Amino acid sequence: MDSLLRSRGGALVVFGLAAVTPLVVRDAYFLDSLVLILLWGALSAAWNVAGGYAGQVSIGHASFFGIGAYAAALMVTRFGRGPWLGMLVGVVISIGAGFVIGFLSNRLKGPYFALSTIAFSQVLLIGVSRWRGFTAGGEGIPVPFRPGFATLGLGHAGWVYMALAAALLCYAVEVYLERSRVGYQLAGVREDEDAAEALGIPTRRLKVFAVTLSAALTSICGSLWAQYIGFVDPTYVFSVDLSVRFALNAIIGGMGTALGPYLGSILITSLETYLRATFSGVKTGFAGIYLIIYGTALILVVRFVPDGLAGIAARLRTRRAHA
Amino acid sequence: MSEGATILALERVTKRFGGLTAVADVSFTVPAGELLGIIGPNGAGKTTLFNVISGYYRPEGGRVVFHGHDVTGQPPHAICRLGLTRTFQLVKPFGNLSVTDNVMIGALTRLASVRAARVEAQRVVETCGLGAHADTRARALPIGLRKRLEVARALATGPRLLLLDEVMSGLNPTELAAMVELIRRLHAEGLTVIVIEHIMAAMMRLARRIVVLHHGETIAEGPPAAIGQDRRVVDAYLGEEFVLAQA
Repeated sequence: MDSLLRSRGGALVVFGLAAVTPLVVRDAYFLDSLVLILLWGALSAAWNVAGGYAGQVSIGHASFFGIGAYAAALMVTRFGRGPWLGMLVGVVISIGAGFVIGFLSNRLKGPYFALSTIAFSQVLLIGVSRWRGFTAGGEGIPVPFRPGFATLGLGHAGWVYMALAAALLCYAVEVYLERSRVGYQLAGVREDEDAAEALGIPTRRLKVFAVTLSAALTSICGSLWAQYIGFVDPTYVFSVDLSVRFALNAIIGGMGTALGPYLGSILITSLETYLRATFSGVKTGFAGIYLIIYGTALILVVRFVPDGLAGIAARLRTRRAHA
Repeated sequence: MSEGATILALERVTKRFGGLTAVADVSFTVPAGELLGIIGPNGAGKTTLFNVISGYYRPEGGRVVFHGHDVTGQPPHAICRLGLTRTFQLVKPFGNLSVTDNVMIGALTRLASVRAARVEAQRVVETCGLGAHADTRARALPIGLRKRLEVARALATGPRLLLLDEVMSGLNPTELAAMVELIRRLHAEGLTVIVIEHIMAAMMRLARRIVVLHHGETIAEGPPAAIGQDRRVVDAYLGEEFVLAQA
């Protein structure tokens, strides 16, 4: 228990605070920020499964996000069924898409893989935009709000717990990858593929596994996001901006660490929310403010803490142990 | 398998890169329990041959038979699981992981439980004299210890045949002596070992039988003493005659 507290103490604090907040805070704006922090954190953690743990850095994860978002939205609007079923269908489709992307990772390495994932998301963007009859094209789909758990029509507090559940799911998968056989083998693949292969690790199969798992988790969060926001449109859900956000939160927080993506999301999402509120009255000049935040945060992290915010925590812990 | 039964057989293996034949029609067999040396000047095709045996290259001709299985063209991980593991000349440590974790990833190939693999890794780390560095990040190790880690990680997969690619080059005399000692000990414990080495002197002391490659072809095969006298070998190593004299 003592060692659990030490190694997972940060997570207990982060998720514990998130769980308690709706009990004491009623402010809708604050709770909305919290939901977004948790969802973006969960999405970065899902990205981290492929990018951080398996070393397959994708800049096309919006593909799976979009698939999940559209699957849930279309299931409700076109087929009149619940968003949960849509989420399930989204996961199945994303697993298929994850297979394709995972297969690409066996042919293309590093930057070439990253570029091919961008291309994949762009293909989906164009496909969904053009298929007007089914997807409503570029106009997007408003998702009707019907109160109830089955329809995911929740209040602010309810959404905090739903986002928290997604966050805990992704976190649990990360922790599994830190302790399990397959997790260690993936670390080998990340560090040196040739050496891993020589040691008996089926590297190709494991990469496909990691990318597919990551895709499924991303898709789940995408479905939740669509139901929470109540609107999906292709230019947003399949955007490179979004893919970059998943990756950067994890990089800033600490790639290949379980809590890192959440720390990154806390920093970036809250800064973004704050700045957007502050500058909302100003029409010109601040539209791309979040890009400036990303840029600045990224430069600071790469310069001062290359292993991310989680790296700072680890360093403080070692210093205390030595003192 | 009884002592002396064939564990590895190369049958007329040929590997070409475009117009260059890197390995030409190479055949030899390795009985279980042997310590075989493969020498040859730079570019003789030694590492290419290892890459063919361990599954990194598919040969244009010939067969590789390991332990009764035709493994020609099989992926490296499958060959490793059959009990044939190799090291790399340019060492490939898992740089951000600790020495123990590096070795543990090897052990996980035949042990399903992380806990059992960790225990096994600690044992192998001690065996290879890396105990004092068990928690060090691999990238922080000096080259001598990295070579040793390379061997430890391969050993942890529980091989029946170990291919060592220049694990002695680049070592200082103390490290070299320790590495020779380690290889001898593993061999004495029953492991079949094939060692590639560029430095002939070290190999002369270590191997029982030596295969000499030159321009991808086998030009000599036999016990070290005979190899040292072979005219073609001396010619291939022209300018290294003094090395042979010392050996």
